[in-house]
Amino acid sequence: MSDPVPLTTDHPGQVASATPPEPGWSRRLSDRWLTVAFISPALLLLLAMSVFPLLWALYLSFTDYSATRGGSAHFVWFENYTAILTSAQVHLRAFTTLIYVVGAVTLQTVLGFTIAYLISRRTHGRGLLTTLFLVPMMLSPVVVGLFWRFMLDAQFGVINSMLGSIGLGQVEWLTRQQTALISLIVVDTWQWTPFIMLIALAGLTAVPKYLYEAASIDRASEWFRFRTITLPLVWPLLLIAVLFRAIEAFRLFELVYILTSGGPGVSTETLSFHVYKVAFLGFNTGTASAYGILMVLIVIVLTQLYLRYLNKLKED
Amino acid sequence: MAVSVDEAASTGPVRDRTPRARRFGGRGRSVLEVALLTVLAVVMLFPVLWMIETSIKENRDVYAIPAKFFDFKVTLDHFKDVFFSSGGGRSSLSVSFLNSVVVAGISTVLATVLGVPAAWAYSRFAVKAKKDQLFFILSTRFMPPVVVVIPIFLMYRQLGLIDTKLGLILIYTAFNVPFTIWMMKGFVDEVPAEYEDAAMLDGYTRLQAFRRFTLPLLLPGIAATAVFALIFSWNEFVFAIFLTSGDSVRTAPPAIAGLIGGTTVDWGLVAAASVVFALPVLVFAYLVRKHLIAGVTLGAVRR
Amino acid sequence: MRYPKRIGRLSVPGRKVQLATAAMLVATTVAACGGGQDGASAPKAPATIPELTKDPLTLSFIWFEWPPAQALEAFANAEYTKERPNVTIKVNTVPNANWHDAIFTQFAAHKTDFDIPILDSQHIGEAVTNGNILDITDFVKQNIDVNAYNPYLLAAYGQFPQAETGKRDENASLYGLPLLGDTWTMIYRKDLIGDKPPQTWDEMIAAAAKCQADNPGVSGLAFHQANGSDAAAVTYNTVNGVYGGNLWDPKSRKIEGVLNDAAGQEAMDVLVNKMKPLTATGSGNWFIDEVNAAVAQGKACIAFNWIAASGGLLDPKQSTLGTTREEILGKLGFATLPSQKTNLVPLGGMGMHVSAYSSEANQAEALNFMKWFQQADIQKKWAAAGGVPSRTDALESPEFLNAGPFNKVYADSVPRMRDMWNVPEYARLVDIENTNVNAALNGAKTPKDALNDIAKEQQAVLDSSGSKGGGGL
Repeated sequence: MSDPVPLTTDHPGQVASATPPEPGWSRRLSDRWLTVAFISPALLLLLAMSVFPLLWALYLSFTDYSATRGGSAHFVWFENYTAILTSAQVHLRAFTTLIYVVGAVTLQTVLGFTIAYLISRRTHGRGLLTTLFLVPMMLSPVVVGLFWRFMLDAQFGVINSMLGSIGLGQVEWLTRQQTALISLIVVDTWQWTPFIMLIALAGLTAVPKYLYEAASIDRASEWFRFRTITLPLVWPLLLIAVLFRAIEAFRLFELVYILTSGGPGVSTETLSFHVYKVAFLGFNTGTASAYGILMVLIVIVLTQLYLRYLNKLKED
Repeated sequence: MAVSVDEAASTGPVRDRTPRARRFGGRGRSVLEVALLTVLAVVMLFPVLWMIETSIKENRDVYAIPAKFFDFKVTLDHFKDVFFSSGGGRSSLSVSFLNSVVVAGISTVLATVLGVPAAWAYSRFAVKAKKDQLFFILSTRFMPPVVVVIPIFLMYRQLGLIDTKLGLILIYTAFNVPFTIWMMKGFVDEVPAEYEDAAMLDGYTRLQAFRRFTLPLLLPGIAATAVFALIFSWNEFVFAIFLTSGDSVRTAPPAIAGLIGGTTVDWGLVAAASVVFALPVLVFAYLVRKHLIAGVTLGAVRR
Repeated sequence: MRYPKRIGRLSVPGRKVQLATAAMLVATTVAACGGGQDGASAPKAPATIPELTKDPLTLSFIWFEWPPAQALEAFANAEYTKERPNVTIKVNTVPNANWHDAIFTQFAAHKTDFDIPILDSQHIGEAVTNGNILDITDFVKQNIDVNAYNPYLLAAYGQFPQAETGKRDENASLYGLPLLGDTWTMIYRKDLIGDKPPQTWDEMIAAAAKCQADNPGVSGLAFHQANGSDAAAVTYNTVNGVYGGNLWDPKSRKIEGVLNDAAGQEAMDVLVNKMKPLTATGSGNWFIDEVNAAVAQGKACIAFNWIAASGGLLDPKQSTLGTTREEILGKLGFATLPSQKTNLVPLGGMGMHVSAYSSEANQAEALNFMKWFQQADIQKKWAAAGGVPSRTDALESPEFLNAGPFNKVYADSVPRMRDMWNVPEYARLVDIENTNVNAALNGAKTPKDALNDIAKEQQAVLDSSGSKGGGGL
């Protein structure tokens, strides 16, 4: 904490000096009551807006319901699930998503950590630097997508213009299979590197100084200190940051929608984008629900495995 | 998710590293590091600068090949177009900005009002299966919006909430409550419960003790949390595009996205609209910059 | 200062409680969703227009964001209010990419904030099958002079099931009336390839190739290649038509073997191997606005675009071709599409329909508006205001022909038009075609594979109606 709460020991004194009020109606509220009164509104909202819809989707995933065709839903049980799991179309999107998630998260972790490390070694202007680096993260994905589409335009985009001025030819950033996926990864990395940077920076600045001092007395090499002091202490935080980014990247939709709309062909269609097409082009609500449930399941299972690995790492 | 890193990172007061850097870094290495940092900063900030530049260029300069970096005529026409339609009167973009203010503002207030007391209760009292409840709360935040939007759509259809601001406000609130609870719980944990106990010994009720003594100490944390919630609601696109379609309801992100895909694309206008749209978020983020680092790490990592 | 030392345990909360809640909620849900209407069909509009309200009323349209939408709102508010002063016209617009979704999600909600949806002609099937728009057959019989139109135009924007190309089935039901006619025009640089437009597709390609070779920095062709909306699909369909191919056999609902027959393969080959090499680098995601930009920036010899979207080309503010409209017109020519084995051109444009979920007063007003809009003098005024009318007399009127250089192109193209499949599965069919043609154009698939994949996947969509599970993948 960067002491957001200016706590000092003299507060209790101030507290005691205030005049206690007349006992009001609220005295009768027990702690138990308070707990229920304070927690239940939030929980009820979540039940209504998150749990209920998810259960509804779960029910629909076993049916052939279509939101536009009307008519009642017929149970098809696991037919939607088997169709999705065996569909080559889905496998293709899963593979695309995998490359994208791994590529983007790796790149932004390396970059984010590097920037954080460099910033943490500076004495002056750290606040300003951090703030400047944070700007991309604050922008709406829509703005980010539109703008990069403009910059990556093969004909009049500024990127190709700069490449041209150093003698390189035009690159088709958004209309070739490989470059389109790379472009998505680059744009996502541009926006979310600051996130990793923030968390890494927090970890780096929390490394106790005395450890370095002890190491410097031992005349340990810079790399040795980085490897044995800095990294082990920042590593757990970094791994959690990676988890967060991976989950976010897994559900990526906006960038694809705006930057490539899945093209060329379907080569940059992610799972999220495919769900959208199933749900809103043909209004195959049942199939789309099953697809979505499977995505949620994947997130939960992979997260569990990852966390278990983290816990093991910590125990060692 | 339910990972906790207790007493996680502190971003603490900036510690002076100069002696170490000097002793072991050496001047050459320091220069190299500054150079690398500068390059990275330029790369990261270039798109933002280019966006600002495009917003003040005339359209013929926008399309110029090779790109014009410095020598172009400055115009504020695009910014005028953001707010006023060509025939005079308000532009539909400015209406969407107002909608965004209403939707993001109200949903942030709601999430704060619901989330802060819950966070306090979770922090102070013994709640059955507290960890499970907290994990459950956070997990609702991690569902892909494209998946959630399908059942939400069906539900809103029954309730008549499709294409209404209320519908958007509700879903944004629901997405921000988990975050608010988690982030605020961290802040509440920082305030020793003993303060309230002492106050109660003096005759205050628990609620009064919370209001009088804990809440004021939480205000900076609440501000930081609210900023994050605000940023989410302000920038959100998926729910907005699938749950609304009318001009009078549409928020800014779908409105800005709608600027392309007509018969001509006015990139200057897109850039100006983006700048105007990003400005409030950046200002807010800057105002609570001290808590921002704490915010992201706490909200994300800590419990 | 403390550093991270513990990473928490992750657990799944209260499983039993959740399961119980789940069971309950599912039961509720089943009850809640069961009430949909079975075997939906379009409700009928009254044959005569019911009495109209005297109270202030807002008649809402929904369209996508483009100049004709603003033109319609301005035109209707200026003219219609002369007859109905208590009515205000509002044309809501959504991004083009979101057009179908925005309308059909509201239809799905059984509550619309519009009274007159402006549908792409191929969306009629989906809307009719779901009962989203009114059957206006009787209304048309009573109120509209059907002989004033080219029968195919009336059929294309209103009839379902779909009419045979060029004809109208007088016994079929009508669900809409034309609002804005449209087709592709060929835009060519008179200063680069000469005043006379190429007459055949081969000539056109040769002229483009020569022009590209003679003028460095200018590409031979510019056309729609994007994988969104119906961009790449219309492009292929156009070439397919010109080379004598067929999209499907509507009677036997066969696509496999029809679309990818020899003519279809030749069309794909022409598109990918002869036309694509003449386009600009990175034009593989171009749609209307990018093609317009290329023309306006003087970067294309020959371009293809929708007529209704071409108005901006004559605006000196957006063009580098000249500082006045006349100067630009000295360089840009507009012509009907070249022909090859046939002279077919793509049918574009949209019709007006009446939402089944509007209030009765608004539905009555909508019908009245449609009747008003289809009068001869109003159609001429619409033409003068920049719209494209459908009545033959309006199409032949000087008001229309003089309003824009491309209007004659439209009038000449009317008898040559062909539409896509107008079936409830349209959105899926066009997406399959779009993505595959786009893949072929950008080297992600061979032309042959792409065409065969289109045929196979589209056939599967047509055949799958009625099969269990996994629809829409």
